[in-house]
Amino acid sequence: MDDYLHDAHDDAPGELPDEPLEPSLLAAAREYHRPPELPREAIWRAIQAERRAARATRPVPRRWIPWAAAAAALLAVGVGIGRLSLRTDPGTPVANWGPSAPAPRVSAAAYRLTTLEHLGQSEAFLTLFRSSVRTGGQERLASATARQLLATNRLLLDSPAATDRKTRVLLEDLELVLAEIAQLATDARPDDRALIREGMDRDGVLSRLRTEVPAGMTPTRGDL
Amino acid sequence: MDDRELIGRVLAGDPRAERELYDAHVDRVFRLSCRIAGDPHRAQDYTQETFIRGFRRLADFRGESALSTWLCAIAVSVTLNGLRSQRRARDREVGLDEAPALGTRTVEADPDLKVRMARAIDGLPEGYRTVFVMHDVEGYTHEEIATALGVQPGTSKAQLFRARAKLRTALADFARD
Repeated sequence: MDDYLHDAHDDAPGELPDEPLEPSLLAAAREYHRPPELPREAIWRAIQAERRAARATRPVPRRWIPWAAAAAALLAVGVGIGRLSLRTDPGTPVANWGPSAPAPRVSAAAYRLTTLEHLGQSEAFLTLFRSSVRTGGQERLASATARQLLATNRLLLDSPAATDRKTRVLLEDLELVLAEIAQLATDARPDDRALIREGMDRDGVLSRLRTEVPAGMTPTRGDL
Repeated sequence: MDDRELIGRVLAGDPRAERELYDAHVDRVFRLSCRIAGDPHRAQDYTQETFIRGFRRLADFRGESALSTWLCAIAVSVTLNGLRSQRRARDREVGLDEAPALGTRTVEADPDLKVRMARAIDGLPEGYRTVFVMHDVEGYTHEEIATALGVQPGTSKAQLFRARAKLRTALADFARD
């Protein structure tokens, strides 16, 4: 703790008269910086977001990139198989993801799950990026992570996951932000980072991600 | 549930325990931060930072004090450091022409005791002010204050005594009433 409290005489105060302030003065003192109502949920949400971001990005070299690469590979395989199966069966009409097609509906659920995981990862990453805008110094790591997320994002945009209009628009906006971060040079100026942050704020990308991703969807504690 | 059990659950990764810990202490942390910072928005940030640091360092908590006192120590440290950074940034931004004006308090008489008291508390040295706010405004004991600030209880008592003396002097006309 700071030593601002220490005073040559303070550690040997002797018997100081413990005389309280007069009631009127004490009442006035208790009005000093009187706290407003506690914004309990807002603070909790902010704490959770920061902690999620910290957990998600701490093991970046060992776990983040492999997860993103694995997700990208999985999606690539899924998309590839889907396309191949369409080609080998000439009688199959254009993919029908409607309610009467049971098999694709299962795939749609899997894509939805993958999309939510991707959005959760992106949320955690952008939260951390946003908070590090002022300090800088993480451009190389941020750029590498953004590139991995960007690859997954583009695969998702090209998959049935993007048939839902709201999800598609969110993925498109997210792509712009990730692309900007991916292009950050190691000698980026604070202005460059601030511009990206301004863009995020203007489009509300982060808040929309937070709305879209259900609680608990963001991988934590080594789930990456 | 005692501190030890709650901490054990948090360290085991129980999210409900994290929330319980937060709910049990956030009000006190926010109040203290708000009283010291004087700005609810900054107090919100400082409270957030206090819990982030608290969760991060929880494994290092040895139980030598109550968990609430330990969190309080983090809150005071975060808040005072935040205020110092803010002051430094503000000082850099203030031009030379404006600087003297900031150091000069208006001497106009203000009949409002609350306003006068707030000014008098603001005018206390940081150490006096922190102890006074914690003890007389928020009701912490000298032992809690000493633990939170890393000083002896006697130091806390001495600081409080001097703070009250300065306030009585500054508000002598009210004290006589």
